[in-house]
Amino acid sequence: MALLEVRALAKRYADTAVFERVDLDVERGEFVAILGESGVGKSTLLNCIAGLDTIAAGSITVDGVRVDTLPEPEQALLRRIQLGFVFQAFHVLPHLDVAHNVGLPLLLQGRHEAARVAAALAAVGLDALGARLPQTLSGGQLQRVAIARAVVHGPKLILADEPTGNLDPGTAERVMDVFAAQVREHGAACVLVTHSRAAAARADRVLTLTANGMHEVA
Amino acid sequence: MQRVMQPAWLRQLSWPELRHHPWRHLAALLAITLGVALAFSVQLINQSALGEFSAAVRAVNGEPDFELRSLRSGFDEALYERVARHPQIEIASPVLEIDTQAFAARGERVPLKIVGMDALVAAPIAPALVPKPDTGAPAMAMLDPDAVFLNARARERLGIGAGVGTLRVQTATGSTVLTLRGGVAAAGAALAVMDIAGAQAHFGALGRVTRIDVRLAPGADRTTVLRELALPADVRVAAPDEAAQRVSNVSRAYRVNLTVLALVALFTGAFLVFSILALSVAKRQVSLALLGVLGMSARERMLLVLCESALLGAVGSGFGLALGTGLAALALRLLAGDLGGGYFPGVAPSLQFDPLAALVYGALGIVAALLGAWLPARDAQRLAPAQALKGLEAGVQRDGAHWLAPLLLAAGGVLALLPPVAEIPLAAYASVACLLLGGIACVPAGIALLLRAIAPPTNALALLGVERARRQRHTATIAVAGVVASLSLAVALTVMVASFRDAVTRWLDVVLPADLYVRLASPGVAVETITLPPQFVARCIALPGVQRVAAQRVLPMQLAPSRPPVALLARAGTDPEQTLPLLGELLPVRAGVVSAYVSEAMVGLYDAKPGSLLRLPLADASASQATTEVFVRGVWRDYARQFGAVAIAGDDYRRLTGDTRVNDVALWLAPGADASALQASVRAAATALGIDGSLLEFASVSELRRISLRIFDRSFAVTYWLQAVAIAIGLFGIAASFSAQVLARRKEFGLLAHLGLTRRQVLGVVALEGAVWTSAGALVGLLLGLAVSVVLVKVVNPQSFHWSMELLVPWWRLALLCAAVVVSGTLTAWLAARGAASHAMALAVKEDW
Repeated sequence: MALLEVRALAKRYADTAVFERVDLDVERGEFVAILGESGVGKSTLLNCIAGLDTIAAGSITVDGVRVDTLPEPEQALLRRIQLGFVFQAFHVLPHLDVAHNVGLPLLLQGRHEAARVAAALAAVGLDALGARLPQTLSGGQLQRVAIARAVVHGPKLILADEPTGNLDPGTAERVMDVFAAQVREHGAACVLVTHSRAAAARADRVLTLTANGMHEVA
Repeated sequence: MQRVMQPAWLRQLSWPELRHHPWRHLAALLAITLGVALAFSVQLINQSALGEFSAAVRAVNGEPDFELRSLRSGFDEALYERVARHPQIEIASPVLEIDTQAFAARGERVPLKIVGMDALVAAPIAPALVPKPDTGAPAMAMLDPDAVFLNARARERLGIGAGVGTLRVQTATGSTVLTLRGGVAAAGAALAVMDIAGAQAHFGALGRVTRIDVRLAPGADRTTVLRELALPADVRVAAPDEAAQRVSNVSRAYRVNLTVLALVALFTGAFLVFSILALSVAKRQVSLALLGVLGMSARERMLLVLCESALLGAVGSGFGLALGTGLAALALRLLAGDLGGGYFPGVAPSLQFDPLAALVYGALGIVAALLGAWLPARDAQRLAPAQALKGLEAGVQRDGAHWLAPLLLAAGGVLALLPPVAEIPLAAYASVACLLLGGIACVPAGIALLLRAIAPPTNALALLGVERARRQRHTATIAVAGVVASLSLAVALTVMVASFRDAVTRWLDVVLPADLYVRLASPGVAVETITLPPQFVARCIALPGVQRVAAQRVLPMQLAPSRPPVALLARAGTDPEQTLPLLGELLPVRAGVVSAYVSEAMVGLYDAKPGSLLRLPLADASASQATTEVFVRGVWRDYARQFGAVAIAGDDYRRLTGDTRVNDVALWLAPGADASALQASVRAAATALGIDGSLLEFASVSELRRISLRIFDRSFAVTYWLQAVAIAIGLFGIAASFSAQVLARRKEFGLLAHLGLTRRQVLGVVALEGAVWTSAGALVGLLLGLAVSVVLVKVVNPQSFHWSMELLVPWWRLALLCAAVVVSGTLTAWLAARGAASHAMALAVKEDW
């Protein structure tokens, strides 16, 4: 059984369909990239997988658990333990220092593992910056903070939404190196949504999302 | 190139924001409107009442060059002949003023001033008092000794309709019936005019007058005339506008007090503007950042916010002036210009709109709005556009000016020690303002200190709250400061009113020791005209069921022309420690000098400290000395007479003046005595002495206490209303500041949702923060409010009204007030978070603006 199973998924806003008949299987440790035009619903798909958005039809199963039918507190618990997120716009909390931002998923689970946070920071090359506030970091550094936060608690599935979209090509490549390495090192499955073919090239499998479903890229 | 703020920006950038959140901006508009309306209406009411009162006084007193008045209650009319015959005096008009009570249509007694004068002589000096006979009345009805002419207010109060031909008025021992013959034009309180000879005859004042109005011949020298008149010692020269000036002087502190209270509403209104604009700027952070990126300078961003607020202030002020005018007109109609102080008796003023005052109060509304907008505007100016666009704007830490808070608090302490200026506690008001601003200015440093002591928590939710407060202290400061501003004022006013009420209650216990009080006229009314003879007191002592009797003579004494008369209380009994609510120890009796006990106002107004000698107009007019020196043995509290009272022993009074009459008699009942049977016996005793026993008024101690406290509560009704408005505006401000914070945190909530926090947990975090910060604010507000209440109770009250009192802290009421604010604050934070932390909160991470 795949870690992530999406079956006949449809998402609509009122009468307007965003996508329909989306099927997706992601195995444990598999790195899948999804390409697609703007507005086709790539980010929405990630939100649906995480239980952060409602669906019109179909089903989503993560590690054997139907996400779409779970009550909200259970969905939140699933995200807390099983999922990691990386966003295009980094999204770090400005009032927490770097170490606290990275350690936030652990704290939410009641785990106080400073060593794990330090290791995550070291793994993304930020071991000297734990006490800094986010405002003092560059875009590339911020995204590495977000990557460390996404993997620090050992999630089974990482959802990444255009993680290099806000970065210049050189920085984007270095960040993508770190991201891919971390995903592989932690043995997590990953769904990467991106416009960048270069970023997608690091995945095991590349798919394209259209309004009519998911298609394998040859 | 010099760049300036473009008016079009308001239309294109600010208007859409305003249109998008009309209710929020309407609330700010309403706050300014209410603040301006309250302050302006108080100003208009006071101004109209004072203007009307002055006009009424001018109408009654006419326009003589000067008046000759007695130091006490009248003088021999022989002086009139001497004055009238003086070659350099063109007109001398004798006047006898009688304060009495008239019987209204339904039988109740209404205070009425009767002016007895020679209409033929007085016409050029006091045209408003010239009688206008009714159609059908004899042409010379004004000379009829039984004829009386009423002004409009007297007709209205007495309920005199068409066809009523007589008026019954009270005399010294009973009543007399006068014939209604027409009216007089004089405005103001209920007034009747009659022929002076008739007045002297009806009211037992033959050969006496109370004043002579004098108009000099052209070219006459006033000083020479006065020297040649060689006035007796008990007659003084008075200016005709003395009474109006007196009322203006004595009511000034009260009027300033009310205006300051009304301005409090404007102050909290400014805070609401601050909260709403802080919310608006927080919400538009990214838009403003983008405008910055697109070329709008930091100064222009600040100006944009300030202009928005000025516009809001201008519109709010406009509405406020209109509403204030309406409120004033309504209050003048319903309350007749008396906002609870009782300074303008009997006047029913019409509204007097003052354009200059309108301009001043309108400008105050705009200034309040601009003050409220200052910090949000500075936030918009200091915004780092690049950081804000990346969602990393951590908010500006306003850590500068650490010296400001302690400086303001110290200034508040020093100002509270300063004396009043022109009998107005201006320094004390400034002290209250400094304490309030200093207390609010302390909040950031206080929060910083508190947070410095807290280590980063290990619980994720607590960590989020604490670290957010640590790094974004100004947002916590806004919430706490809002609570501090509104609660401290409410606490201060609550403590002040509670202390005053408690003091009055205790005072009543001492000053009302007897079971039953008897008098012929209402307290303070017609004390010279309506009195009881000493035989009545003797009869009362002999009545069965009476254990003890104490009589009191109360009469006014003019000690200074610029001040209202002081009350002289000649009391039975020689032990003031039992009968007066004394303050401090009594000095030993000084041999050969009459002992006097003065109220606190006497110390403040006449410097009559214990140990000093005070000169009272207490000798019989036939004596060579018109005044008597008395020794001040002690000071007592008197909440009934704001302008001063002097108590002396009844025996001393009678020895000095020969006046044996009394105004009221206190009766102590024997155990088991029947009060109603006793009342009948007292009436019978009066009738036996030729007094109309049916006119006696009885009041039990409980009744007097109830009436006194009802008057007290009515006097503070305006205070309660202003307090309620201030609290309501303050709470709305808290709601707005929490909404601002929650809106600014939508992305944070979105991220927390992605990280696995449930909606309930997010709401819990915000509600907990709301509870913690509101509680902190409530604690600081309570402490600050107590400090302000000390200034109000110990400085403002004594300096304004010469009343001292003990500080009474109504802990339960304050605890309820604080609890209500904390619950409201927590609920508001939770409600605000509910909107932001909706199911769509995850989408906030995608928000670019």
